[in-house]
Amino acid sequence: MALNVCSITKTFVTRPVLRGIDLAVPEGQALCLCGINGAGKSTLLRIVAGLLRPDNGSVRIDGHDIRSEPEKAKRRLGMISHASMAYPELTVLENLAFAARLYGVPDRMGRIEELLTGAGLMSYRHDRAAILSRGLLQRLAIARALLHRPALLLADEPFTGLDGDSTERLITIFNRFVRDGGTILMTTHDTRLGLRCCRRVAVLDRGSLILDAMKEDVDANRFADDYLSYARGMS
Amino acid sequence: MKDSGETNLESQISDLRFRIPDLWLGLRAIIVKDIVVELRARQVLPTMVVLGMLIVFILRMASDSALTDTAAPVLGAAALWVAFLFSGLLAQERSFASEQQNGCIDGLLLAPLDPGTIYLAKLLANVIMLTIFEAIVVPIVIIAFDLHVAGGWFRLAAVLLLGNLGISSVGTLFSAAVQLTRTRGSLLSIVVLVILMPMMIPATFALLVLFGAMPGEAQGLASVQGTGALAFVGSFPAAVGYLLAFDAIFVVASWLLFGLIIDD
Repeated sequence: MALNVCSITKTFVTRPVLRGIDLAVPEGQALCLCGINGAGKSTLLRIVAGLLRPDNGSVRIDGHDIRSEPEKAKRRLGMISHASMAYPELTVLENLAFAARLYGVPDRMGRIEELLTGAGLMSYRHDRAAILSRGLLQRLAIARALLHRPALLLADEPFTGLDGDSTERLITIFNRFVRDGGTILMTTHDTRLGLRCCRRVAVLDRGSLILDAMKEDVDANRFADDYLSYARGMS
Repeated sequence: MKDSGETNLESQISDLRFRIPDLWLGLRAIIVKDIVVELRARQVLPTMVVLGMLIVFILRMASDSALTDTAAPVLGAAALWVAFLFSGLLAQERSFASEQQNGCIDGLLLAPLDPGTIYLAKLLANVIMLTIFEAIVVPIVIIAFDLHVAGGWFRLAAVLLLGNLGISSVGTLFSAAVQLTRTRGSLLSIVVLVILMPMMIPATFALLVLFGAMPGEAQGLASVQGTGALAFVGSFPAAVGYLLAFDAIFVVASWLLFGLIIDD
Protein backbone atom coordinates (compact mmCIF):
# COMPACT_ATOMS: atom_id res chain seq x y z
CA MET A 1 0.00 0.00 0.00
CA ALA A 2 1.25 3.49 -0.81
CA LEU A 3 -0.58 4.83 2.24
CA ASN A 4 -1.80 2.94 5.26
CA VAL A 5 -3.60 4.89 7.98
CA CYS A 6 -4.44 2.74 10.98
CA SER A 7 -6.78 3.67 13.87
CA ILE A 8 -5.85 7.35 13.97
CA THR A 9 -7.42 9.37 16.78
CA LYS A 10 -6.82 13.00 17.62
CA THR A 11 -8.36 15.25 20.25
CA PHE A 12 -7.78 19.01 20.53
CA VAL A 13 -8.12 19.86 24.23
CA THR A 14 -11.44 18.11 24.90
CA ARG A 15 -12.86 18.03 21.37
CA PRO A 16 -12.32 14.77 19.48
CA VAL A 17 -11.39 15.61 15.86
CA LEU A 18 -10.56 12.16 14.52
CA ARG A 19 -12.16 9.00 15.91
CA GLY A 20 -10.25 5.92 14.80
CA ILE A 21 -9.65 6.52 11.09
CA ASP A 22 -8.59 3.50 9.01
CA LEU A 23 -7.66 4.12 5.40
CA ALA A 24 -5.54 2.22 2.88
CA VAL A 25 -4.73 3.71 -0.51
CA PRO A 26 -2.90 1.51 -3.05
CA GLU A 27 -0.28 2.77 -5.51
CA GLY A 28 -1.66 4.64 -8.49
CA GLN A 29 -4.99 5.52 -6.85
CA ALA A 30 -6.35 8.97 -6.11
CA LEU A 31 -8.72 9.33 -3.16
CA CYS A 32 -10.94 12.37 -2.75
CA LEU A 33 -11.76 13.07 0.90
CA CYS A 34 -14.83 15.26 1.38
CA GLY A 35 -16.29 16.76 4.49
CA ILE A 36 -17.65 20.02 5.85
CA ASN A 37 -15.46 22.52 7.70
CA GLY A 38 -14.31 21.03 10.99
CA ALA A 39 -14.85 17.43 9.86
CA GLY A 40 -11.15 16.70 10.44
CA LYS A 41 -9.86 16.56 6.83
CA SER A 42 -6.91 18.93 7.24
CA THR A 43 -6.03 17.40 10.62
CA LEU A 44 -5.89 13.96 9.01
CA LEU A 45 -3.68 15.25 6.19
CA ARG A 46 -1.32 16.96 8.64
CA ILE A 47 -1.05 13.73 10.64
CA VAL A 48 -0.31 11.75 7.45
CA ALA A 49 2.37 14.34 6.56
CA GLY A 50 3.97 14.03 10.00
CA LEU A 51 3.22 17.66 10.84
CA LEU A 52 0.91 16.70 13.69
CA ARG A 53 1.21 13.89 16.21
CA PRO A 54 -1.84 11.62 16.53
CA ASP A 55 -3.03 10.58 19.98
CA ASN A 56 -3.22 6.97 18.79
CA GLY A 57 -2.70 5.01 15.61
CA SER A 58 -0.06 4.89 12.92
CA VAL A 59 0.61 6.13 9.39
CA ARG A 60 2.81 4.20 6.95
CA ILE A 61 3.92 5.61 3.63
CA ASP A 62 5.31 2.96 1.27
CA GLY A 63 5.78 0.80 4.36
CA HIS A 64 7.69 3.45 6.34
CA ASP A 65 6.14 4.70 9.58
CA ILE A 66 5.93 8.51 9.58
CA ARG A 67 6.79 8.67 13.31
CA SER A 68 9.58 6.10 13.59
CA GLU A 69 11.14 6.51 10.11
CA PRO A 70 10.22 10.13 9.29
CA GLU A 71 13.09 10.82 6.89
CA LYS A 72 12.36 7.76 4.71
CA ALA A 73 8.60 8.42 4.78
CA LYS A 74 9.00 12.14 3.98
CA ARG A 75 11.18 11.41 0.93
CA ARG A 76 8.13 9.68 -0.56
CA LEU A 77 5.72 12.46 0.32
CA GLY A 78 4.73 15.73 -1.34
CA MET A 79 2.15 18.14 0.02
CA ILE A 80 0.06 21.01 -1.26
CA SER A 81 -1.69 22.88 1.52
CA HIS A 82 -3.68 26.12 1.94
CA ALA A 83 -0.36 27.96 2.17
CA SER A 84 2.13 28.11 -0.69
CA MET A 85 5.21 27.43 1.51
CA ALA A 86 7.04 29.96 -0.71
CA TYR A 87 9.41 32.59 0.71
CA PRO A 88 8.15 35.98 -0.53
CA GLU A 89 11.69 37.41 -0.76
CA LEU A 90 12.93 34.60 -3.04
CA THR A 91 12.17 34.21 -6.73
CA VAL A 92 10.20 31.27 -8.11
CA LEU A 93 13.47 29.67 -9.24
CA GLU A 94 15.17 30.25 -5.88
CA ASN A 95 12.23 28.82 -3.96
CA LEU A 96 12.36 25.64 -6.05
CA ALA A 97 16.17 25.46 -5.85
CA PHE A 98 15.97 25.73 -2.05
CA ALA A 99 13.42 22.92 -1.85
CA ALA A 100 15.49 20.81 -4.26
CA ARG A 101 18.54 21.20 -2.00
CA LEU A 102 16.54 20.15 1.07
CA TYR A 103 15.49 16.96 -0.73
CA GLY A 104 18.86 16.39 -2.40
CA VAL A 105 17.21 16.24 -5.85
CA PRO A 106 19.67 14.97 -8.50
CA ASP A 107 20.02 17.11 -11.69
CA ARG A 108 18.41 19.97 -9.79
CA MET A 109 18.20 22.55 -12.56
CA GLY A 110 16.94 20.05 -15.14
CA ARG A 111 14.14 18.92 -12.84
CA ILE A 112 13.22 22.51 -11.93
CA GLU A 113 13.02 23.52 -15.60
CA GLU A 114 10.82 20.49 -16.32
CA LEU A 115 8.41 21.50 -13.53
CA LEU A 116 8.46 25.21 -14.40
CA THR A 117 7.41 24.28 -17.94
CA GLY A 118 4.75 21.83 -16.73
CA ALA A 119 3.28 24.35 -14.29
CA GLY A 120 3.41 27.22 -16.80
CA LEU A 121 5.78 29.21 -14.60
CA MET A 122 8.76 29.51 -16.95
CA SER A 123 8.12 33.19 -17.72
CA TYR A 124 7.73 33.96 -13.98
CA ARG A 125 10.89 32.14 -12.83
CA HIS A 126 12.79 35.34 -11.96
CA ASP A 127 9.80 36.98 -10.22
CA ARG A 128 9.73 37.10 -6.45
CA ALA A 129 7.00 35.03 -4.82
CA ALA A 130 5.75 38.19 -3.08
CA ILE A 131 4.35 39.56 -6.33
CA LEU A 132 2.71 36.37 -7.61
CA SER A 133 -1.07 35.99 -7.73
CA ARG A 134 -2.86 33.31 -5.70
CA GLY A 135 -3.13 31.07 -8.78
CA LEU A 136 0.57 31.39 -9.63
CA LEU A 137 1.53 30.75 -6.00
CA GLN A 138 -0.57 27.60 -6.08
CA ARG A 139 1.23 26.47 -9.24
CA LEU A 140 4.54 27.12 -7.48
CA ALA A 141 3.32 25.05 -4.50
CA ILE A 142 2.46 22.19 -6.87
CA ALA A 143 5.87 22.36 -8.56
CA ARG A 144 7.51 22.35 -5.13
CA ALA A 145 5.48 19.35 -3.99
CA LEU A 146 6.39 17.31 -7.10
CA LEU A 147 10.06 18.35 -7.21
CA HIS A 148 11.48 15.23 -5.54
CA ARG A 149 9.19 12.82 -7.46
CA PRO A 150 7.09 11.76 -4.43
CA ALA A 151 5.12 8.52 -4.46
CA LEU A 152 2.28 10.08 -2.43
CA LEU A 153 0.82 13.53 -2.95
CA LEU A 154 -1.30 15.12 -0.23
CA ALA A 155 -3.46 17.97 -1.48
CA ASP A 156 -5.48 20.03 0.99
CA GLU A 157 -8.16 22.01 -0.86
CA PRO A 158 -5.93 22.38 -3.94
CA PHE A 159 -8.59 24.14 -6.08
CA THR A 160 -9.30 26.98 -3.64
CA GLY A 161 -8.84 30.38 -5.27
CA LEU A 162 -7.91 29.04 -8.71
CA ASP A 163 -9.43 30.33 -11.93
CA GLY A 164 -10.79 28.01 -14.63
CA ASP A 165 -7.52 27.67 -16.56
CA SER A 166 -5.46 27.01 -13.45
CA THR A 167 -8.01 24.45 -12.25
CA GLU A 168 -7.85 22.58 -15.58
CA ARG A 169 -4.05 22.68 -15.49
CA LEU A 170 -4.05 21.29 -11.96
CA ILE A 171 -6.44 18.47 -12.91
CA THR A 172 -4.15 17.59 -15.83
CA ILE A 173 -1.13 17.53 -13.50
CA PHE A 174 -2.96 15.31 -10.99
CA ASN A 175 -4.17 12.91 -13.68
CA ARG A 176 -0.67 12.66 -15.15
CA PHE A 177 0.77 12.04 -11.68
CA VAL A 178 -1.66 9.16 -11.07
CA ARG A 179 -1.10 7.73 -14.57
CA ASP A 180 2.64 7.61 -13.78
CA GLY A 181 1.92 5.46 -10.72
CA GLY A 182 1.58 8.20 -8.08
CA THR A 183 -0.96 8.13 -5.26
CA ILE A 184 -3.08 11.11 -4.22
CA LEU A 185 -4.99 11.86 -1.04
CA MET A 186 -6.96 15.03 -1.69
CA THR A 187 -9.45 17.01 0.36
CA THR A 188 -11.95 19.25 -1.36
CA HIS A 189 -15.37 20.81 -0.98
CA ASP A 190 -15.88 20.65 -4.74
CA THR A 191 -16.78 17.00 -5.22
CA ARG A 192 -17.28 17.42 -9.00
CA LEU A 193 -13.67 18.57 -9.41
CA GLY A 194 -12.49 15.94 -6.95
CA LEU A 195 -14.17 13.15 -8.89
CA ARG A 196 -12.51 14.34 -12.12
CA CYS A 197 -9.12 13.46 -10.60
CA CYS A 198 -9.97 10.63 -8.22
CA ARG A 199 -11.20 7.07 -8.67
CA ARG A 200 -12.25 6.81 -5.06
CA VAL A 201 -14.26 9.07 -2.78
CA ALA A 202 -14.63 9.15 0.99
CA VAL A 203 -16.67 11.37 3.30
CA LEU A 204 -15.42 12.39 6.72
CA ASP A 205 -18.08 13.45 9.20
CA ARG A 206 -17.21 14.66 12.71
CA GLY A 207 -14.00 12.65 12.76
CA SER A 208 -15.38 9.39 11.31
CA LEU A 209 -15.46 8.02 7.77
CA ILE A 210 -19.11 7.61 6.80
CA LEU A 211 -18.55 6.72 3.13
CA ASP A 212 -15.71 5.09 1.22
CA ALA A 213 -16.60 4.11 -2.34
CA MET A 214 -15.13 3.73 -5.82
CA LYS A 215 -16.11 6.33 -8.41
CA GLU A 216 -17.83 3.71 -10.59
CA ASP A 217 -20.05 2.76 -7.67
CA VAL A 218 -21.50 6.25 -7.29
CA ASP A 219 -23.30 8.49 -9.77
CA ALA A 220 -20.93 11.48 -9.89
CA ASN A 221 -23.64 14.11 -10.47
CA ARG A 222 -26.02 12.66 -7.93
CA PHE A 223 -23.23 12.26 -5.41
CA ALA A 224 -22.27 15.93 -5.85
CA ASP A 225 -25.88 17.06 -5.33
CA ASP A 226 -26.42 14.74 -2.35
CA TYR A 227 -23.16 15.89 -0.78
CA LEU A 228 -24.15 19.54 -1.24
CA SER A 229 -27.50 18.94 0.47
CA TYR A 230 -25.76 17.05 3.28
CA ALA A 231 -23.16 19.85 3.71
CA ARG A 232 -25.91 22.51 3.83
CA GLY A 233 -27.81 20.48 6.39
CA MET A 234 -24.73 20.10 8.57
CA SER A 235 -23.68 23.76 8.52
CA MET B 1 25.96 -15.88 5.96
CA LYS B 2 25.92 -12.64 7.96
CA ASP B 3 24.03 -12.59 11.21
CA SER B 4 21.34 -9.97 11.79
CA GLY B 5 23.53 -7.91 14.21
CA GLU B 6 26.21 -7.51 11.56
CA THR B 7 23.61 -6.59 8.94
CA ASN B 8 22.08 -3.99 11.27
CA LEU B 9 25.50 -2.45 11.92
CA GLU B 10 26.24 -2.30 8.19
CA SER B 11 22.85 -0.71 7.61
CA GLN B 12 23.49 1.88 10.34
CA ILE B 13 26.95 2.70 8.92
CA SER B 14 25.43 2.99 5.47
CA ASP B 15 22.67 5.26 6.84
CA LEU B 16 25.28 7.45 8.55
CA ARG B 17 27.29 7.71 5.32
CA PHE B 18 24.21 9.11 3.59
CA ARG B 19 23.13 11.30 6.52
CA ILE B 20 26.35 13.32 6.86
CA PRO B 21 26.16 14.83 3.33
CA ASP B 22 22.39 15.27 3.88
CA LEU B 23 23.07 17.14 7.13
CA TRP B 24 25.60 19.42 5.45
CA LEU B 25 23.40 20.05 2.39
CA GLY B 26 20.40 20.82 4.60
CA LEU B 27 22.41 23.10 6.88
CA ARG B 28 23.95 24.99 3.98
CA ALA B 29 20.64 25.36 2.14
CA ILE B 30 18.82 26.84 5.17
CA ILE B 31 21.70 29.15 6.20
CA VAL B 32 22.15 30.52 2.65
CA LYS B 33 18.37 30.94 2.32
CA ASP B 34 18.14 32.83 5.63
CA ILE B 35 21.00 35.17 4.68
CA VAL B 36 19.57 35.86 1.21
CA VAL B 37 16.11 36.51 2.71
CA GLU B 38 17.64 38.91 5.26
CA LEU B 39 19.73 40.72 2.63
CA ARG B 40 16.57 41.33 0.61
CA ALA B 41 14.09 42.00 3.42
CA ARG B 42 16.56 44.01 5.57
CA GLN B 43 14.35 43.40 8.60
CA VAL B 44 16.73 42.14 11.25
CA LEU B 45 20.22 43.63 10.92
CA PRO B 46 19.21 47.32 10.59
CA THR B 47 16.94 46.98 13.64
CA MET B 48 19.74 45.29 15.61
CA VAL B 49 22.22 48.02 14.70
CA VAL B 50 19.81 50.83 15.62
CA LEU B 51 19.00 49.23 19.00
CA GLY B 52 22.67 48.48 19.68
CA MET B 53 23.74 52.02 18.82
CA LEU B 54 21.00 53.42 21.03
CA ILE B 55 22.16 51.33 24.01
CA VAL B 56 25.81 52.35 23.49
CA PHE B 57 24.86 56.01 22.99
CA ILE B 58 22.73 56.16 26.17
CA LEU B 59 25.38 54.46 28.32
CA ARG B 60 28.14 56.67 26.92
CA MET B 61 26.08 59.82 27.40
CA ALA B 62 25.00 58.91 30.95
CA SER B 63 28.56 58.10 32.01
CA ASP B 64 30.12 61.17 30.42
CA SER B 65 31.21 62.89 33.63
CA ALA B 66 32.16 59.63 35.39
CA LEU B 67 34.28 58.14 32.59
CA THR B 68 37.59 57.64 34.39
CA ASP B 69 40.33 55.19 33.39
CA THR B 70 38.92 52.61 35.80
CA ALA B 71 35.23 53.15 34.98
CA ALA B 72 35.58 53.10 31.17
CA PRO B 73 36.38 49.35 30.82
CA VAL B 74 33.53 48.46 33.20
CA LEU B 75 31.00 50.58 31.30
CA GLY B 76 32.39 49.42 27.94
CA ALA B 77 32.02 45.74 28.88
CA ALA B 78 28.47 46.39 30.15
CA ALA B 79 27.55 48.30 26.99
CA LEU B 80 28.79 45.46 24.78
CA TRP B 81 26.92 42.65 26.55
CA VAL B 82 23.70 44.64 26.98
CA ALA B 83 23.76 45.54 23.28
CA PHE B 84 24.53 41.95 22.20
CA LEU B 85 21.90 40.48 24.49
CA PHE B 86 18.97 42.68 23.50
CA SER B 87 19.85 43.00 19.81
CA GLY B 88 20.49 39.26 19.67
CA LEU B 89 17.09 38.48 21.16
CA LEU B 90 15.46 40.83 18.70
CA ALA B 91 17.09 39.00 15.78
CA GLN B 92 16.40 35.56 17.14
CA GLU B 93 12.73 36.29 17.73
CA ARG B 94 12.47 36.94 13.97
CA SER B 95 14.31 33.78 12.94
CA PHE B 96 11.23 31.55 13.17
CA ALA B 97 8.69 34.35 12.69
CA SER B 98 9.90 34.64 9.08
CA GLU B 99 9.10 30.94 8.59
CA GLN B 100 5.48 31.53 9.57
CA GLN B 101 4.59 33.56 6.48
CA ASN B 102 3.02 31.45 3.69
CA GLY B 103 3.38 28.38 5.93
CA CYS B 104 7.09 28.09 5.08
CA ILE B 105 7.74 26.25 8.34
CA ASP B 106 5.61 23.36 7.01
CA GLY B 107 7.87 23.26 3.96
CA LEU B 108 10.90 22.86 6.25
CA LEU B 109 9.24 20.26 8.45
CA LEU B 110 8.06 18.25 5.44
CA ALA B 111 11.64 17.94 4.17
CA PRO B 112 13.49 14.71 5.01
CA LEU B 113 15.70 16.45 7.56
CA ASP B 114 16.38 15.64 11.15
CA PRO B 115 14.75 18.38 13.31
CA GLY B 116 18.18 18.95 14.85
CA THR B 117 19.49 19.99 11.42
CA ILE B 118 16.85 22.71 11.18
CA TYR B 119 17.82 23.93 14.67
CA LEU B 120 21.55 23.92 13.87
CA ALA B 121 20.98 25.81 10.61
CA LYS B 122 18.86 28.45 12.34
CA LEU B 123 21.43 28.68 15.16
CA LEU B 124 24.32 29.19 12.72
CA ALA B 125 22.35 31.79 10.75
CA ASN B 126 21.72 33.66 14.02
CA VAL B 127 25.40 33.37 15.02
CA ILE B 128 26.42 34.83 11.63
CA MET B 129 23.91 37.68 12.04
CA LEU B 130 25.14 38.48 15.56
CA THR B 131 28.79 38.26 14.42
CA ILE B 132 28.12 40.87 11.73
CA PHE B 133 26.45 43.03 14.38
CA GLU B 134 29.43 42.55 16.73
CA ALA B 135 31.84 43.54 13.96
CA ILE B 136 29.94 46.84 13.66
CA VAL B 137 29.38 47.57 17.36
CA VAL B 138 32.70 46.50 18.95
CA PRO B 139 34.90 49.14 17.22
CA ILE B 140 32.30 51.82 18.05
CA VAL B 141 32.26 50.86 21.75
CA ILE B 142 36.06 50.72 21.85
CA ILE B 143 36.30 54.23 20.40
CA ALA B 144 33.35 55.65 22.41
CA PHE B 145 34.68 54.40 25.76
CA ASP B 146 38.35 54.82 24.82
CA LEU B 147 39.11 51.18 25.63
CA HIS B 148 42.46 49.47 25.40
CA VAL B 149 42.26 45.77 24.56
CA ALA B 150 45.03 44.73 26.96
CA GLY B 151 44.24 41.03 26.60
CA GLY B 152 44.67 40.96 22.83
CA TRP B 153 42.25 41.04 19.91
CA PHE B 154 42.26 37.30 19.34
CA ARG B 155 41.14 36.59 22.90
CA LEU B 156 38.50 39.34 22.63
CA ALA B 157 37.13 37.77 19.42
CA ALA B 158 37.08 34.33 21.08
CA VAL B 159 35.14 35.59 24.14
CA LEU B 160 32.65 37.49 21.96
CA LEU B 161 32.12 34.43 19.78
CA LEU B 162 31.52 32.22 22.82
CA GLY B 163 29.03 34.76 24.21
CA ASN B 164 27.40 35.01 20.78
CA LEU B 165 27.00 31.21 20.60
CA GLY B 166 25.49 31.09 24.11
CA ILE B 167 22.97 33.87 23.40
CA SER B 168 22.06 32.38 20.01
CA SER B 169 21.69 28.78 21.23
CA VAL B 170 19.11 29.71 23.88
CA GLY B 171 17.46 32.46 21.80
CA THR B 172 16.99 30.20 18.76
CA LEU B 173 15.36 27.47 20.82
CA PHE B 174 12.96 29.84 22.54
CA SER B 175 12.16 31.61 19.27
CA ALA B 176 11.03 28.22 17.94
CA ALA B 177 9.05 27.58 21.11
CA VAL B 178 7.27 30.93 20.82
CA GLN B 179 6.62 30.86 17.09
CA LEU B 180 5.82 27.20 16.58
CA THR B 181 3.68 26.66 19.66
CA ARG B 182 1.00 28.78 21.21
CA THR B 183 3.32 30.31 23.81
CA ARG B 184 3.04 34.05 24.33
CA GLY B 185 5.79 36.12 22.70
CA SER B 186 6.69 38.07 25.82
CA LEU B 187 7.77 34.84 27.45
CA LEU B 188 10.79 34.61 25.14
CA SER B 189 12.66 37.56 26.59
CA ILE B 190 11.88 36.68 30.21
CA VAL B 191 12.90 33.02 30.01
CA VAL B 192 15.93 33.65 27.81
CA LEU B 193 17.27 36.42 30.05
CA VAL B 194 16.90 34.24 33.15
CA ILE B 195 18.65 31.29 31.45
CA LEU B 196 21.45 33.50 30.11
CA MET B 197 22.18 35.12 33.49
CA PRO B 198 24.72 32.45 34.58
CA MET B 199 26.57 32.92 31.28
CA MET B 200 26.71 36.69 31.65
CA ILE B 201 28.85 36.44 34.82
CA PRO B 202 31.92 34.76 33.24
CA ALA B 203 31.31 36.68 29.99
CA THR B 204 31.47 40.03 31.82
CA PHE B 205 34.46 38.87 33.86
CA ALA B 206 36.36 37.89 30.68
CA LEU B 207 35.73 41.28 29.04
CA LEU B 208 36.81 43.13 32.21
CA VAL B 209 40.08 41.17 32.17
CA LEU B 210 40.60 41.83 28.46
CA PHE B 211 39.95 45.57 28.93
CA GLY B 212 42.42 45.66 31.84
CA ALA B 213 39.87 46.38 34.59
CA MET B 214 40.61 43.12 36.43
CA PRO B 215 43.58 40.85 36.89
CA GLY B 216 43.20 37.68 34.86
CA GLU B 217 44.61 35.29 37.43
CA ALA B 218 43.06 33.93 40.62
CA GLN B 219 45.82 35.18 42.94
CA GLY B 220 45.49 38.74 41.65
CA LEU B 221 41.75 38.75 42.20
CA ALA B 222 42.08 38.62 45.97
CA SER B 223 43.29 42.20 45.91
CA VAL B 224 40.28 43.43 43.89
CA GLN B 225 37.56 44.91 46.06
CA GLY B 226 33.85 44.80 45.38
CA THR B 227 33.85 42.28 42.55
CA GLY B 228 30.73 40.51 43.92
CA ALA B 229 29.52 37.61 41.78
CA LEU B 230 32.47 38.06 39.45
CA ALA B 231 34.87 36.87 42.17
CA PHE B 232 33.25 33.45 41.85
CA VAL B 233 34.68 33.07 38.33
CA GLY B 234 38.27 33.18 39.58
CA SER B 235 40.42 33.66 36.49
CA PHE B 236 40.30 34.35 32.74
CA PRO B 237 40.87 30.69 31.77
CA ALA B 238 38.09 29.68 34.19
CA ALA B 239 35.76 32.28 32.63
CA VAL B 240 36.46 30.88 29.16
CA GLY B 241 35.92 27.39 30.55
CA TYR B 242 32.51 28.37 31.96
CA LEU B 243 31.54 29.93 28.63
CA LEU B 244 32.62 26.82 26.74
CA ALA B 245 30.68 24.59 29.14
CA PHE B 246 27.55 26.78 28.93
CA ASP B 247 27.69 26.76 25.12
CA ALA B 248 28.26 23.01 24.91
CA ILE B 249 25.40 22.26 27.32
CA PHE B 250 22.89 24.61 25.70
CA VAL B 251 23.74 23.80 22.08
CA VAL B 252 23.40 20.05 22.72
CA ALA B 253 20.32 20.40 24.97
CA SER B 254 18.58 22.76 22.51
CA TRP B 255 19.45 20.50 19.59
CA LEU B 256 17.81 17.59 21.41
CA LEU B 257 14.82 19.60 22.68
CA PHE B 258 14.03 21.14 19.30
CA GLY B 259 12.51 17.88 18.06
CA LEU B 260 10.09 17.88 21.00
CA ILE B 261 9.11 21.52 20.43
CA ILE B 262 8.17 21.03 16.78
CA ASP B 263 6.48 17.71 17.43
CA ASP B 264 2.99 19.19 17.64
